[in-house]
Amino acid sequence: MRGREVARLVGKDLSLMRLPLAAYVAAALVSVALAAGPPALRSAGLTLALNVLIGLSFHVTLGPVLGEREKKTLAFVMSLPVRPRDAALAKLAAAGAMFALPGGIAAAAIAVALPLGMRPSVWGLVLGAWMAFFSIVLAAAIVTESIGGTIAALTGLIFVAGNVAIQVLPTLAWTGRYVRDVLAGGPSVPLTLGVEIAIVAGAVAATLVVQGRKSSFV
Amino acid sequence: MNAQAIRLEGVGKRYAGFTLADIDLDLARGRALGLIGPNGAGKSTLIRIVMGLVRPDAGRVRVLARAMPADEREIKSRVGFVSDDMALYRGKSLRWHMDLVASLNVNWDEARARVLLDRFELSPHRSVRGLSRGQQVKALLLLALARRVELLVLDEPTAGLDPLMRHQLMAILDEAREDGCAILLSSHHGEDVAAVADEAAFLSRGAIVARAPVATFLGEGGSLEAAFLARVS
Repeated sequence: MRGREVARLVGKDLSLMRLPLAAYVAAALVSVALAAGPPALRSAGLTLALNVLIGLSFHVTLGPVLGEREKKTLAFVMSLPVRPRDAALAKLAAAGAMFALPGGIAAAAIAVALPLGMRPSVWGLVLGAWMAFFSIVLAAAIVTESIGGTIAALTGLIFVAGNVAIQVLPTLAWTGRYVRDVLAGGPSVPLTLGVEIAIVAGAVAATLVVQGRKSSFV
Repeated sequence: MNAQAIRLEGVGKRYAGFTLADIDLDLARGRALGLIGPNGAGKSTLIRIVMGLVRPDAGRVRVLARAMPADEREIKSRVGFVSDDMALYRGKSLRWHMDLVASLNVNWDEARARVLLDRFELSPHRSVRGLSRGQQVKALLLLALARRVELLVLDEPTAGLDPLMRHQLMAILDEAREDGCAILLSSHHGEDVAAVADEAAFLSRGAIVARAPVATFLGEGGSLEAAFLARVS
């Protein structure tokens, strides 16, 4: 891996997404303002923040990741002195960088809008959960290089996560204890954050391993 | 210095319904080789293998005396690639692309880039969106030649261009060859290959069916297309 090449490619993607990112940051700031405002506006802040997270995730996945092949710019990039593994790492790093600022602000809006009020632990868990979700979808996009594969990963995740949250968790005895412990800032917070970070790291590692085994890069 | 710009030994690649079989091919530094064949003959696959964009299932690939893909980055820094299946970022200017390529290449020669801008009549600050297909090919060539590459690999660079633009591009390639740059060129147009290449190789159904100096083929059939058809039929 060459840090310089990766940094240049990350800079390229950030430059290409400069205007949409500015719009997402502005929307995320508005969502915080709404969420922190009168109770009547909180739901608007919450839904705007969710829209920022969803829109940003799709935009990053469909634009700099899947869009490169469709727009035939991938062949141009891959003809430059970069290795496929570095290009994949750059995509992941660029996506993380693009997500961090507007995503972090939108997660703050969600934490503020929740009945508990803003707590750093809740903010961290919300952002971490979305990053874990996003990293799996992003890995699917980079590995499969297809919209179909990405949508399959996305819908599969929503199906599994949704059913676990709605059907399974309420039936478990420890769910209530876990929620109370999280709200109290207990050991469940770092444990959950650790799981979320492990999921992100696993998605990154899997992406690089699969990229290393590919035989076609355009 | 090793005299080979490209050396393929026993290279094979299998896809569903297509096999590139046991290809041996070499190209000396400073020389130009044209690949001629119909759609699906394997020209693009062969070129992508040379560029490291596709990994072969079998065989050895050496470019500029280095092994692909082990020395991929080093090779790509000395090779320029232009393809009809390649595009620049439409919302960005040529200057933006020049800065990107320069940031990834220690060989970038800004003075030469400025000379080429004038020579190709390109404006660096104009958005790529406003460039014609021919101007985009010129821009891609500029981005390669300003790196002082030792090998140009071109996959159907004249596809979709009008005759005047094709003539201009062939003149640019001829100049590059005279400057010592080796060229591997695939084209549907036999006259493009004849204008630039010293030798031509005919590809059909994933195999090289003939290779000879361009003058030899022209002497046989009057045109490269005629010589190709005589062999394939």
